[in-house]
Amino acid sequence: MNIGRKIVHRAMLAALLLCAPLALRAQMVVITHASVPVKSISVRELLDVYTLNQSRWDDGTRITVVDVKSGKGRDAFFEYIGMSPEEMQRIWLRKQFTGKARPPRSVGSEEDVVDLVAATEGAIGYVNERALKSGKSVRIIARFK
Amino acid sequence: MSYWNAASRRTERALAALLLYLLGAGPLTAQEAETNLFGSLQAIFFTQKSRITLNTPLPDGTTTLTEERNSFAIQQLDIFLQRQIDDNFSAFVDMEYQLNYSSEHRWGSMSLQEAWLQYSHSDAFNVKLGLLYPAFNHLNEIKNRLALLPYIFRPGVYERLLSNLYRSEDYIPEHAFVQLSGAVPSGDFFWDWAVYVGNAEDSYISRTDADGNIRQDMDRKFEFLSGVDPTNADLKLIGGRTGFRSRTEHFKVGLSFTHDYDNLRDTTRYPMFFTRPRAEFRGDARRMRLGADLSGSVGGVRFEGEFINVFYDYDLADQAGFDMNLTFAHGMLGYWFTDKLFTYGSAEFGTGTFDKGWSHSSLSFGASYLLNSAISAKAQFIVHEQRHDEDEDRAMLKFVFLGLSVLL
Repeated sequence: MNIGRKIVHRAMLAALLLCAPLALRAQMVVITHASVPVKSISVRELLDVYTLNQSRWDDGTRITVVDVKSGKGRDAFFEYIGMSPEEMQRIWLRKQFTGKARPPRSVGSEEDVVDLVAATEGAIGYVNERALKSGKSVRIIARFK
Repeated sequence: MSYWNAASRRTERALAALLLYLLGAGPLTAQEAETNLFGSLQAIFFTQKSRITLNTPLPDGTTTLTEERNSFAIQQLDIFLQRQIDDNFSAFVDMEYQLNYSSEHRWGSMSLQEAWLQYSHSDAFNVKLGLLYPAFNHLNEIKNRLALLPYIFRPGVYERLLSNLYRSEDYIPEHAFVQLSGAVPSGDFFWDWAVYVGNAEDSYISRTDADGNIRQDMDRKFEFLSGVDPTNADLKLIGGRTGFRSRTEHFKVGLSFTHDYDNLRDTTRYPMFFTRPRAEFRGDARRMRLGADLSGSVGGVRFEGEFINVFYDYDLADQAGFDMNLTFAHGMLGYWFTDKLFTYGSAEFGTGTFDKGWSHSSLSFGASYLLNSAISAKAQFIVHEQRHDEDEDRAMLKFVFLGLSVLL
């Protein structure tokens, strides 16, 4: 009986350990400047914004796209919208070099993303929810892991 | 000659002054700045082996000519300036330097390829005014952004190194001056549209031939103006492109069309090896270009294809039974082995230019490797053949190119 319990306990422990990375995976959020007239955004709309195909919000404000230079959050975001970072880089370069759009503003950390989005009218970015700071006026319009 | 040299120097000084003005317009690289400076540079080494076989012997009895050449070159440097003036207006400038440009030594060239102002009403409606690359097939708008292309040697009608062989303008509209365009979302796709107008082809402006000599064969009515297109409205370029592009940008297809006139008084360009004169017609030939393009990515596979057909409507040629129509087709199939390594094979075929029976084809294999986010190492092997069917002359060229592309 004891042997049976030990086996069950070990199995539960193993299952917990296996699930832990999923449970601990960071909650990511898509944020905008507080004045942006959008309460939620779909994956397709995010794709249009980050491929620079949508350049304005519904009220006509020009969108400023903010990207972080590297990190797991960046990988998670591009996975969420179904693109690889390399593909996105090629799209951005093509649009920049033909004058069709400016590439995203690229900053070094998620804290910088929050600061820039909070300070720039029309801005959009993505960060780990933990990077949000009190007193910074941003709006959360999507969540993903 | 001295007048033209002086004019050329004035143009260079004006371009240099424009560059200095824009450089001084504000901080240029920070994302916060409204003016951005960036560029594309490609440096190459190539080796070329040529073999020409003539069915009709030259006066000394020679029927085969061979040549071997190796060279280093700065193939092309493009400097771009982009300024977001406000939410609606932006400006863009592309200055291009080719082949180790030196005004002192008079080799290479420096040119203003694009300089336009854009009014953006929405993503569905934009207006560009100024010197611009019009929307035509897939490659025309990015033809000189070499650091964005996997090729060293571009598909023939876009390759400046082949300017002795092709007159690019015979196949593609090189520039326009007003373009309306937009992208309208429709399900999983965008519907792209563009219409534009521009000058008749450049040779209407030029009074000098490829060697810098004043041409004697021009229509007199065109000679009282210089530096501007002297043709009237009915000779101007009109054109457009419509197509669909997936929202992920993984697929793009389109049809293109232009209508303008070809200046047949310009007799400065011939096919490279078979120096028969072009058609002996001296006038304005009505010309329509039709283009189709298809490009996309599936997994790591990348494909690109273009087809161009140029139709002429010119009574003198029709009466003489001369077929002036031109064809060009290009296809590329490539594969991303890793995020950094792209390999490809491509083929192209064309007929023209105004020499009945003349045609050419190329096969090419190449690779591009991203050394980092700004630098690519490239290699390309090309076999290019030209044929003249009437007397069975042949020219075979083999190129090996090695190059470095840099995003500036």
